[in-house]
Amino acid sequence: MEKGSRRSFLVFSINWATALIGGVLSLAAGIPLIGFAISPAFKKGESKWVDLGLADRLKNSRFKKVDYTFTAKDGWVKATKKRSVYVTDAGNGQWSVFSRTCSHLGCLVRWDDQKESFLCPCHGAVFDQNGIVVAGPPPRPLQKLQTKVEAGILYVKDF
Amino acid sequence: MGFLNERLPLTEFSAHLRKPLPKHINLLFSLGSLAMFLLLLQAATGAFLALYYSPSPEHAHNAVTYISEEVPFGSFVRGLHHWGASAMVVIVFVHLLRVVIYSSYKAPRELTWIVGVLLLLVVLGFGFTGYLLPWDEKAYWATVVGVEIASTAPILGVFVAKVLRGGSEIGAVTLARFYAVHTIWLPWLAFGLVGVHLFFVRYYGSSGTPQNTPEEMKTGKPFYPDQVFEDVVGMLILFIVLAAVALFIPVPLEDVADPTNANYDPRPEWYFLFLFQLLKYFQGPLEIVGTFVIPTVGIVLLLFLPFLDKSERAVLWKRPVALTVTTVCVAGIVGLTLLGASSPKLETADATIVQEVPQPTEDIQKTATLDTETAEVEKEEEVFDFQLTEEEIEGTEEEEEVFDFQLTEEELQ
Repeated sequence: MEKGSRRSFLVFSINWATALIGGVLSLAAGIPLIGFAISPAFKKGESKWVDLGLADRLKNSRFKKVDYTFTAKDGWVKATKKRSVYVTDAGNGQWSVFSRTCSHLGCLVRWDDQKESFLCPCHGAVFDQNGIVVAGPPPRPLQKLQTKVEAGILYVKDF
Repeated sequence: MGFLNERLPLTEFSAHLRKPLPKHINLLFSLGSLAMFLLLLQAATGAFLALYYSPSPEHAHNAVTYISEEVPFGSFVRGLHHWGASAMVVIVFVHLLRVVIYSSYKAPRELTWIVGVLLLLVVLGFGFTGYLLPWDEKAYWATVVGVEIASTAPILGVFVAKVLRGGSEIGAVTLARFYAVHTIWLPWLAFGLVGVHLFFVRYYGSSGTPQNTPEEMKTGKPFYPDQVFEDVVGMLILFIVLAAVALFIPVPLEDVADPTNANYDPRPEWYFLFLFQLLKYFQGPLEIVGTFVIPTVGIVLLLFLPFLDKSERAVLWKRPVALTVTTVCVAGIVGLTLLGASSPKLETADATIVQEVPQPTEDIQKTATLDTETAEVEKEEEVFDFQLTEEEIEGTEEEEEVFDFQLTEEELQ
């Protein structure tokens, strides 16, 4: 095909037009499909106060494990979610509540009374009683949760 | 056949299948066929398991229990699928090693290698998405850790983790998308990549061992029927072994996933144990080295190996650098896997008494509405699923007697 001929111009135009139509079709279908798939990532999780029970019942607790459940929307399901925290009553209305989620990769830590530490069963993390990393891979301390007592009930800000 | 011959290029196809292979090849050259057989077996057993499986947190564990315990041949089919996945990882890994040992990835087969490495990643993706599906403890916690690993990646990590989970935590959406990826997305990708891989294998021809001279590259046995027969015998042996394992070793199914289980020590499937162990060695700010840098660099180096190693084609033990790197990598993976497998479980059981959340009294609820913030809490409380203490359960039992409408035998008479 002669360069600069009408035929070569036509082929050139057809190639570009085909590519353009292909691109438009890909975008027209791709953007909604990708948006459809990744949309949950843009939803912001809401932290909320949840009830850990009567504060009196937890008085003098020392790293007492408290499991609580609550209902939350999980996609199309109203699901019962379970969480677990360690509660310590420091006295004078001071409460210390630690999330049990290891700050490394999300396994649940356990309080060891003898070692006075939180231990992670996954990658060997150790946190002291203030949640500070003593050993192992976590880059951050254990998460300490906000607390409040109202009407005799201990609330914790769920993460 | 005449009808088909007139319409399809069967003669050319037959001649292509009968093309001779290199003179020097051995049993290791059947590994690719075995991997393809396993992929087909996984697709078949998976398609049948899907007849009974339900991808929702409420039903998944029960469905898998039902398959294993009540459906005729259910335990066997699940066993084939489960152990087949492990066999797939082994076969694909040894296949990759064979290609490295005989330096089959070198020109002109670089593209075959790259597609092969992508297939290895797809196989690992199958493993990762597959073991969430039973929704047992292992499934749940392995996925928690796996997704958290993704979240440590720089810039997009947290976003990717949310996309994987379909939100901020693992739940119904996660299970649905893992199921979709495992049963639709990855199979499409796998069969597409296998098609391309096979095209390259046939187009460039088998590499044979490096001892083949250029003249010997087309003087071996024909692919069909000789090599095909050897491959089929290999498939038969592999199937017998898998069937025996599926019959005699029940597939483990742990308790249903419990995000608060105090005494569960999460461990991944054996083929991710090396990564599990590796993560222990990078502490504090170096965490990302174990979770992101090493795996990413490893995959990139593996993908571009043919462009990094441009030495003459020779068997591995005649290439000192490649031999050293391969030995270190294989020994590292095997060693870390063994260390991970023997990793001690945490002896600390949760000795503290579980404080169950008591049901709030009416008075407390009334008082709790005093300020606006607490009012929101009360709204949520309506749907809280409070667990009863033992005392309260005892109290409830008394009340239950009142509502016991079942008739006694005397009353029935």
